[in-house]
Amino acid sequence: MKLKMGFLVLFLGVFWPAPIFAHHSFRAEFDSSKPKEFLGIVTKVEWFNPHARFYIDVKDETGRVTNWNFELGSPLQLRRQGWRQDSLKVGDQITVEGYLAKDGSKMASASKITFADGRTVFNGSSADGSPSQ
Amino acid sequence: MKKENLLRSSCFLLRRARYKSYTQKLRVSLGRRAMCALLVAVCSFVSAFAAFAQGERGAIAGTVTDQDGAVVSGAPIQAKNVKTGTLYKTTSSATGNYALEQLPTGTYELANPVLGLMYRKENVVVGASQTLRLDIRAVDNSLNTLGEDRTYFAGLASPHATPDGPPPRMADGKPDLSGVWWEPRVVDIGEATVLPWAAALMKERTANIAKDIPRTRCLPNATTLLGRFGVNRLVQTPALLVILNEADVPGYREVFLNGRGHPKDLDPTWTGHSIGKWEGDTLVVDTIGFNDKSWLADLPSIITPHTDMLHLTSRFRRPDLGHLEMEVTFDDPGTFTKPLKMTAISDLAENEDVQEWICNENNQDVEHMVGK
Repeated sequence: MKLKMGFLVLFLGVFWPAPIFAHHSFRAEFDSSKPKEFLGIVTKVEWFNPHARFYIDVKDETGRVTNWNFELGSPLQLRRQGWRQDSLKVGDQITVEGYLAKDGSKMASASKITFADGRTVFNGSSADGSPSQ
Repeated sequence: MKKENLLRSSCFLLRRARYKSYTQKLRVSLGRRAMCALLVAVCSFVSAFAAFAQGERGAIAGTVTDQDGAVVSGAPIQAKNVKTGTLYKTTSSATGNYALEQLPTGTYELANPVLGLMYRKENVVVGASQTLRLDIRAVDNSLNTLGEDRTYFAGLASPHATPDGPPPRMADGKPDLSGVWWEPRVVDIGEATVLPWAAALMKERTANIAKDIPRTRCLPNATTLLGRFGVNRLVQTPALLVILNEADVPGYREVFLNGRGHPKDLDPTWTGHSIGKWEGDTLVVDTIGFNDKSWLADLPSIITPHTDMLHLTSRFRRPDLGHLEMEVTFDDPGTFTKPLKMTAISDLAENEDVQEWICNENNQDVEHMVGK
């Protein structure tokens, strides 16, 4: 009997820590314990699957400029939440809250974007608003 | 005391009738007495039953927090009575509190069927006239990118507004499942035990935070016919059901309804081979021929592996115009000790179309998947 082959593990045990995501595991790539805020100018927008992306130039205290790559959701989801590919435009000054990539690259997952005029949008959450609203 | 007064008043009202004859009076009198007796009996029974029911019920209450200790509002909570299979549901409040009241005494499994905010607790014993305090510390793995955050996953469990009406039917009278459907909402995640090899692999995948799930490399995700993300369009003909999966690879599934069987020389594939037949108004689809490369990403525990013995039995029903019910049995003796049954429901996405999903067009994530 297979039951005698060894111990059986009740799968989905108490608080089973199942990593869940759409395209990939968030925590395998980004560090949720490292939120960071960036102020910069949009230099490029990529409206492609599996993730839309935008890039901003960020100037540090010494005046050195670094280009950061921010990951968004998929255009599939963003469109349904009111985003369009021109919602972010090259030259926009924005403040971005995001989570840093674990591997130390100049990459982050965007969680909240604030435009120069004060409009704030969150990660595609329709409840939080979207650029078209 | 109040109950007695109520009974007395009721019987008094019955006595107020006027009679045309003694016979009638006698008949009414007897009827009146019988009515009073019946009323007393019914009230006593209801009273006793209520007392009994009250004594045989209990409650579970607590607070939902995430792994950082922050309260979680709007988290669906589901308690399943192990004996009867009955599901009791509630949602955590703005302050993270939840309460499942009037639960028949017994043993329950407490779970959150929503992807992205996981917990499950078994052997929760609810005693009579007791409120079991059970705080839930959920593991939130959904803190993800735009559109894939906790709200997004919570949205997967939230019903959409759907039109009313009976299910449409084909010319032959069979239900027509055609339409665009939102992502399936898991109603019951089922339960299963896995063999030691699978448990060890799941432990490893957990430690790696699922960095190697095939979907990250734009490989197929779901083994079930409906894609787990994005909408699905079903196109039904008498001989063939075609399913277009918006956000999965290869993006389509075929279910042959023309009575053909599975090929004998079937090559194992990611999505297998599906044939279907009608049992009344239920379409039963049999899928075999899977390879062992995919993860069971259809399940809330997406890190679950499977072997090429995987055999899916999917039962589809369209109870009304706006809903598609799906019950899937995962039978894989190479992985599970007993079949796992999951039930889900999709809402009709009236105004949606299937959008293009070219996953590898700009997939920059793979090289940054460090895991731990």
